[in-house]
Amino acid sequence: MDVLGQIQIFSTRFLGIFIEAVSFLLLGTLVSGLIEVFVRKEDVIRFLPRRAGRAVFAGSFLGFLFPVCECGVVPVTRRLYQKGLPVAVGITFLLAAPVMNPIVFASTFSAFGFGVVLVGRYLITLVMAISVGLLFTLQRSPAKLLSPGSISTLARSAVGGGGAGIETPQRPHLLPGLIKSLRYAHDEFFDMGKYLVIGTALAASMQTFVPQEELRKVATDPVLSVLAMALLAFVLSVCSTTDAIIALSFANPINGFTTGSILVFLTFGPMVDIKSTLMYLGVFRRKTVVYMVILPLLISILIGIWLNLNVRF
Amino acid sequence: MRTRKWLESAALLLLGIYLLETRLSGEISYYIAAQFFWLPIMAGIILIAIGVAQVSYLLGSAGQSSTNPDLLLARSPHTQGVTWLSLILVCVPLVLGVVLPAKPLGASAVGTSGIATSLNSLNPTGSTGTFSLAPENRNVLDWVRAFSAAATPDEFTGQPADLIGFVYRDIRFNDQNQFMVARFAVSCCTADALAIGVIVEMPDSAKYKQDGWVRVRGKFQVREFDSHQTPVLIAESIEETAMPERPYLYP
Repeated sequence: MDVLGQIQIFSTRFLGIFIEAVSFLLLGTLVSGLIEVFVRKEDVIRFLPRRAGRAVFAGSFLGFLFPVCECGVVPVTRRLYQKGLPVAVGITFLLAAPVMNPIVFASTFSAFGFGVVLVGRYLITLVMAISVGLLFTLQRSPAKLLSPGSISTLARSAVGGGGAGIETPQRPHLLPGLIKSLRYAHDEFFDMGKYLVIGTALAASMQTFVPQEELRKVATDPVLSVLAMALLAFVLSVCSTTDAIIALSFANPINGFTTGSILVFLTFGPMVDIKSTLMYLGVFRRKTVVYMVILPLLISILIGIWLNLNVRF
Repeated sequence: MRTRKWLESAALLLLGIYLLETRLSGEISYYIAAQFFWLPIMAGIILIAIGVAQVSYLLGSAGQSSTNPDLLLARSPHTQGVTWLSLILVCVPLVLGVVLPAKPLGASAVGTSGIATSLNSLNPTGSTGTFSLAPENRNVLDWVRAFSAAATPDEFTGQPADLIGFVYRDIRFNDQNQFMVARFAVSCCTADALAIGVIVEMPDSAKYKQDGWVRVRGKFQVREFDSHQTPVLIAESIEETAMPERPYLYP
């Protein structure tokens, strides 16, 4: 086998995925930097409905107001908790926001066009985030759900008068604000960039070095493919702005992975992966995090397998 | 620490310049579909802006007193800050892009995933445009689509075609006179690159080397290939040609 030729092919596939994906990643980090600097997130809480059920539903769409991917969503949620957001609404926001996001919509559209993958990704994400959020409305006491660390900041803000105690940053001037946004984007780009490079390298290797007949056995199995893509999503931790382009390399129409498994990758992955689980542990109690990982996993796997067995795409 | 900060800026600026250069040189067409050619321009500009912001910050903090304390503390609350590992990994695409010569996917990239002569899934939105094209103006992708939509392979008998593609042969091509004129169809980027081809027949065509670009003119006849009745382009002329500026076709 011609080794140099194979490396050349790997490189072309790698750069294709990377160039397409990194553009959406950069747009995402830039927007999230601008939001970090210019938008006062606490203003939004006032618009949420009072009733828990409706607030959970509204919370699942909050992401369109703050286009943050999974790396940015945890600090934003923590800040919203300090401003009095109900825990269940925050969990729904946390799970839905990485997908409920115009940049993720654009990258998913660019990879799959308008069709079952795009629509399915949004519907399944809503079902998952809202049902998990509604389950958490049953537990009204934040102390049972949040980690002691986040509870203490809540307590402090309560002493300061219902959230007004936390200093609210002044809206910055345009130019210094822009520079600050760019510096935020810088950190986030390097942080997420490493996952993108690893994910891209894996996707390009699978297409170049792995015999496709071997892969086909797993890829076309309605159950195994779903489990494999759930595991891959968890381990790869790629940013939700770019995961559609990575997923595309597994969805080749001749011998690609089942549509159900691609949807699991695109719905479970943004909610739960190694990186986000670690960040969840900083805000929630361990038991809460176990539910936040297991429930989305089970729901997405069940939907994925059901789709594979019952729907012809 | 300080060295790494400078290296980060250098990496951002170089990656930005690389993306812009790839677009300007046209090599971008080896990597992504034409409708997304604006993406690397946007990405390049953002990268350079982030890099310049970092450089101006580093220069400012070297002179110290003038620096806004607000900017000094600026660090994304989402991250742990940049590590050597993330810096090295982000440089990987730059190294691949600069060190290896840019080359589009060709015959050797078809590999074990195979090449399609008819495929319905190629066009999820359904294009009727193909059939309004005169046969001579159809490309490999248009023909492959037409074959997929056809009820019988006989429909195309006698229709003229004029195709550009690379030469592809695999183990099924035991007839010395046959090869495939092939292209990659790319909807988004190389992630979804799909090899497609039309079978060509001409005496003595073994002299056209695998992966070389050719222009084939001829008329279709039905032949048996790999135990299927299939339209085969009986070539009247084959000429070697340069690779087109855009080597992929876009569904």
